[in-house]
Amino acid sequence: MIDVLPETELGDQLRRRAIALFGRSLHIRTVDTGSCAACESELRLLAAPHYDLHRLGFFFTPAPRHADLLMVTGPAVRAADNALLKAYDATPDPKAVIAVGACALGGVYTEDALLHGAVDRVLPVDVYIPGCPPSPIALLQGLLVAVGRLEDRVAGLSLDLDTRRSHATPRSQ
Amino acid sequence: MTHAIGALTIAAAAAWLGGAAAGLGAGRRLGVRASALLSAIGGAAAVLAGILLAVHGAGTTLRFGSGPVGAATFHIAPLAAPFVVLLGVVAVANALYAPRYHEPAPGTAVYLLVYGLALVASLAVLIAGNVIAFLVAWESMALTCYLLILRHHTRPGVAKGAFLFLALSEVGFVLIVLAFAILATQTGSLDLVTIAARAGHMTASWRAAAFVLALIGFGFKAGLVPFHIWLPAAHPVAPADGSAFLSGLIIKLGVYGIALFGFVLLAHGPAWWGLLTMALGAISAVLGILYALMERDLKRFLAFSSIENIGIIVTALGAGMTFTAYGQRAIGAFLLIVALYHSLNHGVYKTLLFLEAGVIEHTTGTRNLDRLGGLIHRLPRSAVICLIGTVAIAALPPFNGFVSEWMLFQGLFQGFRISSHTVGILIVVAGAMIALTGGLAINAFARAYGIPFLGMPRSRAAADATEDGQPIAGPAMLAAACAFLGIGAPLVLTALDRVARAAVGIDIHSELIVPKLTVIPAHTAFSGFSPTYLAVFLLAVCAVPLLIYFAGRPRGASRRPPVWDGGILSFKPRMQYTATTDANPIRVTFEALYRPQRHLERTSDDPAGRSGPVHYHFEVLPLFERYLYVPIIRAVQWLANRARPIQSGDVNLYLLYVFVVVVIAYLIYAY
Amino acid sequence: MASWFLRGLRRGVVTTRYPKTIDPWTRDLPAAPAFHAHRLTTALADRLAEQCPAGALAREEAELVVDLGRCTGCGRCVDLGGGAVVNSGAFLLATSNRAALIKRVPIGGSDD
Repeated sequence: MIDVLPETELGDQLRRRAIALFGRSLHIRTVDTGSCAACESELRLLAAPHYDLHRLGFFFTPAPRHADLLMVTGPAVRAADNALLKAYDATPDPKAVIAVGACALGGVYTEDALLHGAVDRVLPVDVYIPGCPPSPIALLQGLLVAVGRLEDRVAGLSLDLDTRRSHATPRSQ
Repeated sequence: MTHAIGALTIAAAAAWLGGAAAGLGAGRRLGVRASALLSAIGGAAAVLAGILLAVHGAGTTLRFGSGPVGAATFHIAPLAAPFVVLLGVVAVANALYAPRYHEPAPGTAVYLLVYGLALVASLAVLIAGNVIAFLVAWESMALTCYLLILRHHTRPGVAKGAFLFLALSEVGFVLIVLAFAILATQTGSLDLVTIAARAGHMTASWRAAAFVLALIGFGFKAGLVPFHIWLPAAHPVAPADGSAFLSGLIIKLGVYGIALFGFVLLAHGPAWWGLLTMALGAISAVLGILYALMERDLKRFLAFSSIENIGIIVTALGAGMTFTAYGQRAIGAFLLIVALYHSLNHGVYKTLLFLEAGVIEHTTGTRNLDRLGGLIHRLPRSAVICLIGTVAIAALPPFNGFVSEWMLFQGLFQGFRISSHTVGILIVVAGAMIALTGGLAINAFARAYGIPFLGMPRSRAAADATEDGQPIAGPAMLAAACAFLGIGAPLVLTALDRVARAAVGIDIHSELIVPKLTVIPAHTAFSGFSPTYLAVFLLAVCAVPLLIYFAGRPRGASRRPPVWDGGILSFKPRMQYTATTDANPIRVTFEALYRPQRHLERTSDDPAGRSGPVHYHFEVLPLFERYLYVPIIRAVQWLANRARPIQSGDVNLYLLYVFVVVVIAYLIYAY
Repeated sequence: MASWFLRGLRRGVVTTRYPKTIDPWTRDLPAAPAFHAHRLTTALADRLAEQCPAGALAREEAELVVDLGRCTGCGRCVDLGGGAVVNSGAFLLATSNRAALIKRVPIGGSDD
C-alpha cells in the first residue's frame, strides 16, 4: 500500500507555508469517494460566472500530477481507497487535502465494512468544510482558509444563544 | 583499379559458391557457421567492389570463353555499383544472422546451398554484359529464390506463396525476354554496350514497345502495382533472412532493370515513358502503404511497405526520365541519384526490419501484432535496433530515409521548370501522392513499432520472450549502416554522382554537394540542407535539455510514485489498443478503397459476449486479385479449354498434323 | 449590438464580491442549529440526539455535544425543539482544526 507520511509539527508548518505560497495560483483536483454528487454540483458551480473561482487564482485540474490541493468528497467508501490513495500519491508535494461535506467529515454514514466514514481516516486532512452540501460561498471560504488568505473563526463560534460572547459572529467572514 | 574491381567481383562470386557448398554441411552447426563465414567474406568483397566501381566511375568487362550464342560477357558497369554494394551488405548481414537463426538440419543444408547460388545469380544479373547472360542469370535468380521461399514447405501458405512468386516471375520473364528480343533483333547485337550505342537508331515504335515490355516485366519483379500480388504472399512465408534477401535485394533487381532500360539501353526516350513510370510508381506507393495499414501480420505489413518504397523509387526514376526528356538533364540525373540512393537505403533498413521480425517470430512464435506487446522490456537491444530501422523507414532525421525522401521531394517540386504546364502539374501531383504516403508511412510504422514493443504483452508468448541466443550482430550492423548512410550522405552522394555521370553522362557534383557538406537538388538557390550538420544539431538540441536537467535537478531525496493511470485497480493488456483498432481511422477514411467484408457472429444474446464467444471476421477486398487476375486466369482457362480438342490423344490425328505441316513446309520452300 | 450585451451592461456584474462582502441571500441557507440553553432539557436533548439523521447531536451528561462537521442542516432538530432550537445561520465553518467543530451546549433547562 501507499505510505501516508506522518505529520510532524514542523513539517506541518512548512507545508502550510508552502501552500500559502500557492495562494495566488492554486490548482485543485477533486476526488469523489462515493458522494451523492451534491457536493460535486456545488464544486462545479465554482467555475461558473456567479462565483468564479478563477478571479481568486484557483483552477480545477483533472490531473493530480498538476494539482496542489485535493478536495475530497464522499464518506471514503472502501472501494474507492485505491483510487483515492493513488491520486494522493500522484499529487506532488507540497500538497494539501480538503475534506468537503458532511459525509467526508464523518456525518450521515458510520464506519462499517463498506466505508471508512470520514476522509481523515484515510488521508491527513488539512481543512474541513462542513455542509450538506456546502454552498459555493462556503467552499470559497474553505479554499481561502486553506491558503491562509482568510482566518478560520470556528473556534470562537458559540452555539449557545444565552451566552453569546463570541468574538466574531459567524456571519462576519 | 579495374583489375581490382574485376578481381573482387570474382572473389565475391567464388566465396558465395564456396558458401553454398559449405552449406551442404549444414547438418551440423559448424557447417552453418562455415557457410556464413564464406558468405560474409563474399559480401565484404562485393561491398568493396561496388564502392571501388562507384568511385572509379568506369566499368570493366570480363569475358569467359565462347559458346553457341557468344561469350559469357560480364560488364561491370557503374550503374550496378549501388546494387552490388547493397547485395554485399545484405549478404554480410544475413551471414551474421544465420548461425543463430538457422537450426542445423538437412533442410537448412539445402537452403544454404540454394541461398549461395541465389547470391551468385543476383550478382550475375547485375554484371551481365550480354542478353543471354542476363536472361540466364535472371532465371537462375528466380528459380533459386523460389526454392528459398520453400524452406518450410510444409507450413500453411508457403507453397501458395512460392507458387505465386514463381508464376508471376515467369510472366515477367516472358516480357523481359520479349523486350530483349526486340532490342537484340533491331540492333543486331547481343552485347549490352553495343545495344546501348545502337538503340538510338531504332524506330520509335520498337523502342516504345521494348520499353513498355521491360517496364511491365521488371515491374513484376519489383512489385509495382498491379503486378505486386506475389509480394505479400511470398515474403512473409520465407525464413527471416530469406525474406530480408527478397525484400532487400531481389525487388531492387527489378528497379535495376527499369533503370537499365530507361537510362542506359533506351536512353533519351520520350516524356510519356517517364510519366507512365512515374504514375505506376506513385500509385504503388499510395496503395502499398494503404494496404500495409490493414495488416496484422508483421511480415505481410513489411512486404506491403516494400511495395510502397519501390513505388517511391520508381517514381523517382520516372520523374528523372521526364525531366531528361524535357531537357532538364541535371534534375534528371539528380532524380536517378535519388532512386539509386533510396534503393540502397531501403535495402538496408528493410533487411534490418525483416531480420528483426524474424527475431520476434523466433522468440514469441507469432507474427500477429495483436499477440505481441511489451517486447521493449524483454528484448531491449533488439528494440533499440528496430527503433533505428523504424525511424529510418519512416523518413525521420537524421537517418538515411529522411535524406533520400527530402531529395525526392526537392526534385519533384522543381516540376515548374518543365516547359509543359500539364507535365509540370502531373509531376507535382506525384509529389503530393508521395507526400501522402510519407504521412501514412509514419502512422503505419508508429503502429508497427508501438504495438509489438510498447505497452503490455498481449499474450503469454510475448510475456515470456527472451533475447538469449537471438541474433543481434547482423541487425546492429545494419542500424549502424542506416546512421552512416544518413549522416554521411554527402560522401555517399558523391559516389552516386559518379555513378550517374557514368550512366547518363552528366556530372552534377557542383549542383549536388556544396561546401559545408550541404546537399542541394541540382539547382543552387532552390533549397538545401546538410545531413551531417543536422545530425550534430539534433544531438545538441537533445543534449542541452539533458545537461540542464542533470545540472539543475534537486539534490535531495525525491519521491517517484508510479505512473498516474486514472486510479484504476489494475491495468489489463486487453485494455490497450490493438493493431486493428489503431488503424481504424485510416480504415474508415479509405473505406471506399478497402470495401471490407464484415461478418459478426454471436453465440449468445449478450452483446458483450459474456456468456459465449463473439466471432468477428473482417476482410479487406482483394482488389487486384478479384478484378484483374481472376478474370485473366479465367480467360486463359477458357482459351485452354477451347484448344483442348487439338490434343485429343488420337495418334491418327497427330499423324494428320505431321502430314499437314510437311506439306505446308514443302510449299513454302518451293515458293 | 447584441441584446445580451446590453442586458448585461444594464444589470451589471453578477459575480459575487466574496470575500469582500457576503451575498444577502445566504441568510436563508440551511445551517447548523443554535440553542437556547435555558430551554434545553435532558429529555429534549436525548430526543434530539436520537432524531438527528446525521449523527451530529449527542448528549454527554449535562451537555449537548454538537458536531458541526456532521450537521447537514436538515432542520429536524429545529422542528422538534419547540423554541429551544433555531437556525444559527452559521454556514462559513471551514477550519483546519476538526476538534473546533465540536461544540458543547450546557443543558440549562429542567424536565418539569
